[in-house]
Amino acid sequence: MATNLLARLNLPGFESESKKVKHYGVVANFDTPEDLLRAVRTARAAGFSKMEAYTPFPIHGIDEALGAPRSPLGKIVICCGLTGLASAILLQWWTGAVDYPLSVAGKPLFALEPSVPIMFELSVLLSAFGTVLGMFHLNRLPTYYHAFFNYSKAEGASNDRFLLAVEVEDPKFNAEEVKTFLDSCGSRHTELVEA
Amino acid sequence: MAHHDHHQVTDNYFLAPETWTKVRNSLVFVALVSWLALAAGFATNREQFQFSYLVAFAYFVSLALGAMFYVMVQHLTGSAWSVTVRRLMENIMRTIPLGLILVLPVIFGTHYMYEWTHAAAAKDPVLSKKLGFLNDQWFIIRSFIVLGLWSLFSWRLYAISRAQDDNGSLKHTQAAERWSAPGLLMLFLTASLAAYDWVMSLDPHWYSTMFGVAFLSGGALAFMAALILICLGLRSAGYLENSVKEEHYHDLGKWLFALTVFWAYVTFSQYMLIWYSNLPEEVAWFQRRLAGGWYNWRPFMIFGHFFLPFFALMPRASKRNLKMLGFAAGYMIVMHYFELYWQVMPVLHGKGPQVSWMDPVAFVAVGSAFGLVFWSGLRKKPLVPVGDPRLDQCLAFHNV
Repeated sequence: MATNLLARLNLPGFESESKKVKHYGVVANFDTPEDLLRAVRTARAAGFSKMEAYTPFPIHGIDEALGAPRSPLGKIVICCGLTGLASAILLQWWTGAVDYPLSVAGKPLFALEPSVPIMFELSVLLSAFGTVLGMFHLNRLPTYYHAFFNYSKAEGASNDRFLLAVEVEDPKFNAEEVKTFLDSCGSRHTELVEA
Repeated sequence: MAHHDHHQVTDNYFLAPETWTKVRNSLVFVALVSWLALAAGFATNREQFQFSYLVAFAYFVSLALGAMFYVMVQHLTGSAWSVTVRRLMENIMRTIPLGLILVLPVIFGTHYMYEWTHAAAAKDPVLSKKLGFLNDQWFIIRSFIVLGLWSLFSWRLYAISRAQDDNGSLKHTQAAERWSAPGLLMLFLTASLAAYDWVMSLDPHWYSTMFGVAFLSGGALAFMAALILICLGLRSAGYLENSVKEEHYHDLGKWLFALTVFWAYVTFSQYMLIWYSNLPEEVAWFQRRLAGGWYNWRPFMIFGHFFLPFFALMPRASKRNLKMLGFAAGYMIVMHYFELYWQVMPVLHGKGPQVSWMDPVAFVAVGSAFGLVFWSGLRKKPLVPVGDPRLDQCLAFHNV
């Protein structure tokens, strides 16, 4: 731990391990969404698993091609929704029948009928919170630094380029091989990107 | 987004003549038997006949109106996903003119069903003021006006879509949009009017401005369920396998789910407002429908019509699993009948539900008549709008 910390500070004598440049991965650059999709499928067939695509707009079928699992957002949202539902019942019952019982027009202190709008609203409200915040969390937003932007043509991903990164975490990662492979897939500009 | 994947669609868009004839013959047979049986019911127990018939009539008219609503919405939103199922929607919509004939037993039987036709209504302090609206003459005029308007719009929209089959001109798409915008407005106003006349005026003291929307939402739900079942039926016979795919079923399932929620929203809003104000003239409607044996009908509406399908249809997997979706659709078809039954029948059987043999027979009779009109639209005509400019986009449709 201590050596790691010292190594990070790049103090003389401790730089042995950190002197090696860390890499994010190899990024390739394609002309069209179809080229990108084809490259992703070829790469998956070749056994690469840790990949990420960067594109100016959503591309149908890219999630399946990358082997991305279904987003767990739905499960987060239903939990939030049910929490909202439960808290609404609790709120209606506790304020109306326990904390400050007040008979209005001879209505029961607590009844399900007039509570349903509150139950509905709180379910929707907490579901909405869960959706937005859950989306931020799952997308790791806000991210202030991402190594992908070290790629020299990264801005193309928000314009007209379709980029594919094979990350160093990939068990089959070998910079030279990956580069050759992606070039053979039709990449216009393949680059090993620093982390 | 436009797709450039190369989809090889080899579907046959025309039903085999022998398949068509076989189904037509079975429908004719069922119709003959059920209408004969219904005629016997008409002769033996007129009152029961009228009520059983009214439920069946309201059911299939609301279903066809649901189809018209959806056809118009598809045109107005410029939907691409629904193109391959739109012709089936249009064929369901096209059954509406049949209502002009099938409304006759309702019109000739008002005296058996509607309290406002009785002589005592003139002395009733509430009803006497409503008789200017609720009388046989205006009931008949309104019935034919609404059915006439629906027939006109359904005929136009169908004709426009069929004309596009031949030349694929964009002009037809624009014409359909022009008919759909005023059509949607017309539909909500006239469907409310029809629901007030045919169903709500069974309890003439009572009124609810929500009733029309509730009627239409139930009809749209039954329609969506019917559409899913028809697509699955054609699929099992080997049709539309590549044109109505899992992706399309997923969206139809989303609609089935959404309509379940919408129905519950509207129906519950109506109930809650009445519960909360607790006024005798408003509560009476629910009192009648919760009295005696009808009290046990509640779970069908609360759990059967909402909670069960709501949670069953919520997961993505159940909308993409065709067996599950087909089951849910068949289930909702029945549930809509339960709802209309519960709205109509307590007027006849105040003490509790008394199921008569005429209930299913009337349902089958009216259903087979509507079914025959629907089926006639599939003869030698393409099952999908082959000239629609968005057809290719629909065939390549994919949920994100």
